[in-house]
Amino acid sequence: MTAARRKGLGPLVLIAPAAVLLGVFLVLPYLNIVVMSFRTPGQGTPYGPGFTTGNYTKFFADSFYLLQVANTLWIGLITTAICLVVGFPVAWQLARGAMRFRALAYGLVLSPLLVGIVIRSYGWTILLGNAGLINRTLTGMGLIDRPLPLMYNALGIVIALVHVFLPFMILPIMAAIQGVDPALESAARSLGASRFTAFRRIVLPLCTPGIQAGCILVFVLSLSAYVTPSLIGGLRVKTMAVTVVDALIDTFQWPWGSALALMLSVTGALCVVIFARLTRMKWKVARP
Amino acid sequence: MKRPVFTLYCLLVYAFLLAPILVVVGASFNAGNFLTFPPQGLSPRWYVTFFHNDVFMRAIRTSLWVAAVATVISGTIGTMAALYYVQHAGRWKEAVRIAMLAPLLLPEVLTAIALLFFVYAIGIGTTTMIGMIAGHVLITLPFVFINVSASLESFDPSWDMAARSLGADRLTRFRRIMLPLIKPGVIGGALFAFIISFDTFTISFMLKGIGTSTLPIQLFDYLRTNFTPEAAAVSTVSIVLTLVVVIVSEKVLGLRIHRF
Repeated sequence: MTAARRKGLGPLVLIAPAAVLLGVFLVLPYLNIVVMSFRTPGQGTPYGPGFTTGNYTKFFADSFYLLQVANTLWIGLITTAICLVVGFPVAWQLARGAMRFRALAYGLVLSPLLVGIVIRSYGWTILLGNAGLINRTLTGMGLIDRPLPLMYNALGIVIALVHVFLPFMILPIMAAIQGVDPALESAARSLGASRFTAFRRIVLPLCTPGIQAGCILVFVLSLSAYVTPSLIGGLRVKTMAVTVVDALIDTFQWPWGSALALMLSVTGALCVVIFARLTRMKWKVARP
Repeated sequence: MKRPVFTLYCLLVYAFLLAPILVVVGASFNAGNFLTFPPQGLSPRWYVTFFHNDVFMRAIRTSLWVAAVATVISGTIGTMAALYYVQHAGRWKEAVRIAMLAPLLLPEVLTAIALLFFVYAIGIGTTTMIGMIAGHVLITLPFVFINVSASLESFDPSWDMAARSLGADRLTRFRRIMLPLIKPGVIGGALFAFIISFDTFTISFMLKGIGTSTLPIQLFDYLRTNFTPEAAAVSTVSIVLTLVVVIVSEKVLGLRIHRF
């Protein structure tokens, strides 16, 4: 073997295990699930012989599932919007605020990530339930007669999802703000821009990539969330991910479940693409 | 926003982030049979119940075992891939990065379902732990990769060249230059991989076999039918386990864990 050849092959050994792992346990399963979604439903077996587009026509023909996808997208959208509004000031404080408690604040933002999603959702059931902490406190204080409907509805799901995914919004935005030189703002101010104008025209466009990344992460994560909607929504409000998993675990309709899961993922991906296009265009227009 | 208002707003958000976690910890010391407010006195009784509950204890052991195996595998594979990415990927750099982050970008529920069908398609099903461990390796791999490649950001190829010109062979160069550089990244990535694997739900839920429930699955099943504070005790122990891992890594090793 020549030296040049050894140099060419040697480094490939480093990437080979990862390539094999991703190829076998990610690419092949994804190809397989696409094929599965075109299989016929089985009688007593997970799937039957032959192929069909029936699973997809069933999806588009049944307004129940279309509504559920719309509902899931809506919950994802609201969750993302609230995360942005709630998270941006915190990201700002972490990036630009006084130094004294920054380590502590950063730890607080990271802390939910270190606690399992089942435990966090469980915490919200304790807080939001009809006999939960919030309702008991309010009735105890005589403010309400009957418990507020905080759980088993979309409201509860959104509250808990915002909590679960807020760090994923704060961290990228924080990183983006840290990348904006404060001198740029001072320059704008010295040229007569108000604080708000300087923020809108200088800071906001420059940290758009961070905002985009945060929004996309939170949106995608909330679409595929299973534990939180399942525990907080109960049987009354189901998101798409819950329906898909239950369809597979309880009824073993593999082709149908595959089609549903793929439709949800494709719709989510489409929303992300549209969002990325829209935000980019908007900022181009905003800059004269 | 005025400064005090702004600070107050941020404090409220921090309180919001901590609230459900504190509530779970508080509820675990409730002496009553149900999660009632105000609590009927304080007592460690639910911890005693939990430590005598074979189902939960077995689940903790399964979780720790799966997390350890997954961490070792993804730590090794992820570190090697990060070395390739930083030093050798060349024009494939962006492709390698996207591929390595793919498990993080794809919806976990879809990955879990795809893996479930796949293990049945190749005939091993969920009778072995192969599917579950492969899933855990997949979802933890990006974190190892991010941490190790971040630790290599400061790497300067001229150091390697200097060592070579001074007569160091390949192994020595790796041991004396590369290893000290990537060590914090590898340990940090492995710790994060361990925590992610220990806490993950969807992958384990779809790929669990009979009798191989992890702690999050067992807790989820329990919560669907039971309302005793035992679940809170289980959760608190799980939180404490994670905290110990993090604090030890921060204090003893002085690590900065990169999540993104």
